[in-house]
Amino acid sequence: MEEFANIFVAEEPVKADSKTVYDIVIIGAGPGGLTAGIYAGRSRLKTLIFERLSPGGQIAVSDEVDNYPGFPEGISGKELTDRMEKQAVRFGAKIVPDEVRKISKKDNLFELETASSGTIKCKSVIIATGADPVKLPVPEEEKFRGRGISYCATCDAAFFKDKIVAVVGGGDTAIADAIYLTKFAKKVIVVHRRDQLRAVKALQEEAFSNPKIEFQWNSVSEHVIGENKVEGLEVKNVKTGEKTVLKVDGIFVAIGTVPNSEIVKDIVEVDERGFIKTNQNRETSVSGIFAVGDVRDTPLRQVVTAAGDGAIAEFSAENYIKNLKLER
Amino acid sequence: MEKLLKEKDEKYIKELFESKLDGEVELVLFLQSEGGDKVTKFNSQYLPYTEEILRELTALSDKVKLTVYKDDKEKEKEYGVEQISALFVEGKNTNKNVIYYGIPSGHEFSSLLEDIIDASKGTTELSDKTKSELKRITSPTEILVFVTPSCPYCPRAVRTAHQMAMENNNIKGIMIEANEFPEWSQKYSVYAVPKIIINDKVQFEGALPEDAFLENVLKGAGKIILE
Repeated sequence: MEEFANIFVAEEPVKADSKTVYDIVIIGAGPGGLTAGIYAGRSRLKTLIFERLSPGGQIAVSDEVDNYPGFPEGISGKELTDRMEKQAVRFGAKIVPDEVRKISKKDNLFELETASSGTIKCKSVIIATGADPVKLPVPEEEKFRGRGISYCATCDAAFFKDKIVAVVGGGDTAIADAIYLTKFAKKVIVVHRRDQLRAVKALQEEAFSNPKIEFQWNSVSEHVIGENKVEGLEVKNVKTGEKTVLKVDGIFVAIGTVPNSEIVKDIVEVDERGFIKTNQNRETSVSGIFAVGDVRDTPLRQVVTAAGDGAIAEFSAENYIKNLKLER
Repeated sequence: MEKLLKEKDEKYIKELFESKLDGEVELVLFLQSEGGDKVTKFNSQYLPYTEEILRELTALSDKVKLTVYKDDKEKEKEYGVEQISALFVEGKNTNKNVIYYGIPSGHEFSSLLEDIIDASKGTTELSDKTKSELKRITSPTEILVFVTPSCPYCPRAVRTAHQMAMENNNIKGIMIEANEFPEWSQKYSVYAVPKIIINDKVQFEGALPEDAFLENVLKGAGKIILE
């Protein structure tokens, strides 16, 4: 997958106009937001997409995406989302590099307070803010974050050439990370709290047949050990209570996600973990606000499901706007 | 050496340069031969590729020129070259202060393309607020951005540092490809990228939005944050 020159030049950033009333504002330019942008553009709706970091979302750090239909050889997460971005821009979506900090509703108009574009008005909002990795639940996390604890295997694997690393987690991300890390590290220890993996079978088979990958089953992380950087991970066996120190130089963490729902969690209903509750139309508890992808209460968090959400939410938002007009 | 740029990429870049470039841009590349004081087992393998990719790139537009200084101590001194390879993007709004140490490959190749466009136009897309805040920096300020070519979050940090350097020539925006300079990386305990260090005083990891990045730069430059 490694490209010598990974070329993608973003369109010149667009400025949001505080005098325009947009039809749809999409917050977040991951697969869900970009797909909503493609559909909105084709519907010729006045659309903005706000992105506070860089487009692509979490999948942009995946070395290889093998379960998105249409790419039989697999595709890197970054290239896949670059293509989605180009497609959204092609149909007129405007991507603004800015952060939405507050949303309020007055009559049937939403007002979005942004970091540097002022207040933007729109008729409907699609929340596509995604999720962030859950932090390693040990007291030393903050101390060692960036000093051996990493949340991005593709970014940081190169610092662990011929070293021993741990991967904490047992899902798709963890196992894909473990496999990727074997290209650099001499040994990868997967630390998982259960006695079997949650990852898809195809990844499991690949991991089990990789001689560089070992498994530390039924184990949870208790402490990170080291002076100025990670030197070990203390794990506890949840069945026997036995504690073991794994001598590792790096710890890659993939134990789930926390939703980026702060800006709306006081307005729309969220579940106990903060994921936004939606119905089958991807509507939230506030009419005119929709949610897609990893930030919503969905049973499966994948590129393909986020993209599907984006299409449904745009369709629902469009209907919502039409009905607004009828009411007048 | 086999060509590094694919035909479709060359076509894309050619069209991009035709539509976006205005003034001339000079890419100034510093190299050393085997045995040079800055050649190590870590960077030596990348040097021929760095030269090749830049030759291929600069062949795509009359407005982008490549100057190579090899084993040129005087020129190294003039530009303040700290490591090899060093690449300076010189255009309307730069003054030996938009710098790449190590190969701009992988995701960083896009950073270089965008830098070339900005340097050619003499403008950046930073917000008006950022631009006016940057004017307050009146003493030399160095922003180091450690990256790996496979890090998709890194170009954002590199570009922000380089754009800031273009807006205020007191600022040096420096990309460092961590694989090629392990000692440099170790000096700053780089184990995760992007890692940003401002004047050896302020450091942070990860891609930050422009306003938060700016706040750190002002702090590193010893400026009190207004508001």
